[in-house]
Amino acid sequence: MDKLNEILQKRFGHATFRAGQQEIIEQIIEKKDVIAILPTGMGKSLLYQLPAYLMEGTVVIVSPLLSLMQDQVEQLKILGEKRVIAINSFLSFQEKEMAIRRLADYKFIFTSPEMLQNEQFNLALRKLSIAYVVADEAHCISQWGFDFRPDYLRISTWLQSIGSVNVLALTATATAEVVDDIKKTLQMNAPFEYIHSLDRPAIAYEMIEVDNQQQKMKWILGRVTSTEGPGIIYTQSRKKTETYAAALREQGISVGFYHAKMEQSDRILIQQQFQQGQLEWICATNAFGMGIHKDNIRQIIHDHIPTSIAGYMQEVGRAARDGKQAIASLLYTPTDVEQTFYVTMQDFPEEQDIQIAYQSSYSDIEQAETTTRILTYWKERLNEHETIELFKDIKQKKWQDIQKFYTMIRNDICIRQQLLHYFDQRLIEKPYYCCSKCKMEAANILQKRTEEKNSQEELNWKKRLNILLPT
Amino acid sequence: MHFHQILLFIIHKLSGQRSENAPYYLLKGKKSGQTIQDVTYFQLHAFFSILPQLSKEDYDIGINELHNRDLIQVEESLVYITEKGIATVGEGKEFLFNGWEYRGREQLFWERLDLVIQTLSQFQAKEKKFVPNQKDMAIQNFVKDFLIQHNFREFNLSNDLKQEIFRLLENPLLNDLHRTLFVYRLSGYNKTGLTWEQLSRYYDLTDMNAKINFLECLHNILDNIDINTSPLLFSLAKGIHLDTPLTDSAFKTNSLFEKGYTMEEIARIRKLKINTIEDHVIEIVSSDKNFSVSAFISSEQVEKILHLSKELHTKKLTVIKNRLPELTYFQVRLALTKGEQIHG
Repeated sequence: MDKLNEILQKRFGHATFRAGQQEIIEQIIEKKDVIAILPTGMGKSLLYQLPAYLMEGTVVIVSPLLSLMQDQVEQLKILGEKRVIAINSFLSFQEKEMAIRRLADYKFIFTSPEMLQNEQFNLALRKLSIAYVVADEAHCISQWGFDFRPDYLRISTWLQSIGSVNVLALTATATAEVVDDIKKTLQMNAPFEYIHSLDRPAIAYEMIEVDNQQQKMKWILGRVTSTEGPGIIYTQSRKKTETYAAALREQGISVGFYHAKMEQSDRILIQQQFQQGQLEWICATNAFGMGIHKDNIRQIIHDHIPTSIAGYMQEVGRAARDGKQAIASLLYTPTDVEQTFYVTMQDFPEEQDIQIAYQSSYSDIEQAETTTRILTYWKERLNEHETIELFKDIKQKKWQDIQKFYTMIRNDICIRQQLLHYFDQRLIEKPYYCCSKCKMEAANILQKRTEEKNSQEELNWKKRLNILLPT
Repeated sequence: MHFHQILLFIIHKLSGQRSENAPYYLLKGKKSGQTIQDVTYFQLHAFFSILPQLSKEDYDIGINELHNRDLIQVEESLVYITEKGIATVGEGKEFLFNGWEYRGREQLFWERLDLVIQTLSQFQAKEKKFVPNQKDMAIQNFVKDFLIQHNFREFNLSNDLKQEIFRLLENPLLNDLHRTLFVYRLSGYNKTGLTWEQLSRYYDLTDMNAKINFLECLHNILDNIDINTSPLLFSLAKGIHLDTPLTDSAFKTNSLFEKGYTMEEIARIRKLKINTIEDHVIEIVSSDKNFSVSAFISSEQVEKILHLSKELHTKKLTVIKNRLPELTYFQVRLALTKGEQIHG
């Protein structure tokens, strides 16, 4: 058995590689720049984890999403890797000092683009021998990406400062435009490109037009009470996550809600309850899903038109990780296009905001955090007029994205084919259960609900403590 | 215990001498001279800093409720308890908080305990790979050290710990709501703890009241941890009890007093206003009975102020100061703080 397979089995507990994994890993080991696009849940982490065990030096993983970083560290630790650390703003000053002093002890160093600006950290990094740098969620580099992080662009200067090093860029979603941006920003040198089909054949799609909000509620209640989960219902407001959850609970469904306003300890508990099957359904805003490790999600329901195809793919991509059939259902009314645009634009800077930002100092502006972040970045690089034009373009682009989604829903073309087309990919083989436009019958996929009604269990603290810590 | 009961009790204690926002600052644990001095004046140690996250919005809802039920009234920006309020307010014995002592650090103890129990539960189920509820590295390291120190693989740590918890939960001062909230916030193998919202639904409480009862339970347990009868919890509570109940800044001022500097010198050294140093003195006096105030006020003057306060039934500074114009506000405050220690 060759070295690669041996490590795969011993360390990661997998019998075989998934499509593309081995190829990519071999390229990394041969010190090539690599850009890999794989759908969520297709074993992205393995790509940066495995080569580390065949190469000298430290792996530096730059990740723009702090919550995801936390999760990746946990996952590596669960695999038995102790030489792993996340250096980000969550660490206290002392913890940071300590970690930086011991930097050479770690094999995997996760960090945020912001932290790369830290001089002390950089000094310590430069003393290490770096095996390769991983740019995770690389689509965030592109201002055309659906969650652009301007700070991430600073990785470019940082890469120059540390000298010649190989880069692995990973993402689950990238159009040709975004891929170009990634290559440029990361200064990739004739990179090996691996583009996995972003199609998820096990997920069937249905788009359902209804007249109003009441009908959405009625549809959701009907669907959830008659068919099997586990599932996620995505909605756009915190209030609605709670309303849906309450209505479903009344029907005896074991359901929870999740949104960013909840305190962190409660968010962790809900996530765990869902993962362990103590909750069957979650009603959530798009804050939910990052770092969810659950293979058997069977249904994803959207009660709105998402802000972008890429974002939608990410959300439905959480279903069917086990490869078994799942269904993604989207409910919409014709006025949802405006509603979604309104939601997207809520904290998007208007021309006025940009003018104010240019005329006053940073601390005077009271704007949404994301707005401030993006504006601060561009203020250093473009003049007022250019920035205004740039934001007009971005706004235009966002409107188009939403329109594109709506057109996709309304025309007669296969949804799967259109989703792939957005990423400049072609549909090679249509699965048996494809989409509502391909005459798929949802009833044939959905399992009839068998689970007993969930009656409220009595709380008994003595019993519970004895279950937690059995004698 | 409910939020409005706490509010009513505090307002009762303030006996019409403070504004309706005073309880808010007390519950939030505001580290201002006024709030810290009120803790001692009105014997409100239990409630200091028990709701650091309390929003003004939620607070106002609580106050309005008391208004609407005619339990309190506001006159000339001072808040009073009504006759009807006095009839419903308890004696205060039923409150189990110890806010002055813990000031939020009880959460640290809770996070350690939560992770210890989750870990032990997972290990007993032979599922050693799990996602910890507690993400903080400092907590994780503390728990790791604790488990290793107590040979958790070899000895019956899990059962010993459980017995300690049982014993403390059986304290008759606690009720089943306390106990249930405490146990059901914990997680273990295949049993994830419940969120505040889930717990309050069982008892038809608001989230805030669920948290308040949980906190009472937590404070009560911490109060009763003893190195002999609960040695494991004792080591999990390391550093939770206050060595000095002073705020950091007052602590620094105190050290300079101990070195013999005067108030003016300290203000200069620390580049602080003299008012701030005065606040520190009040804080130091509140927590240290033996701190000598003779440098600031004579014992005759203290007596005079206390006498007047008693005679006029007031702790209002302006009223007392108007009658004794030769004294400073600081001296009046000092005397009143001292007075609470003698009589309170």
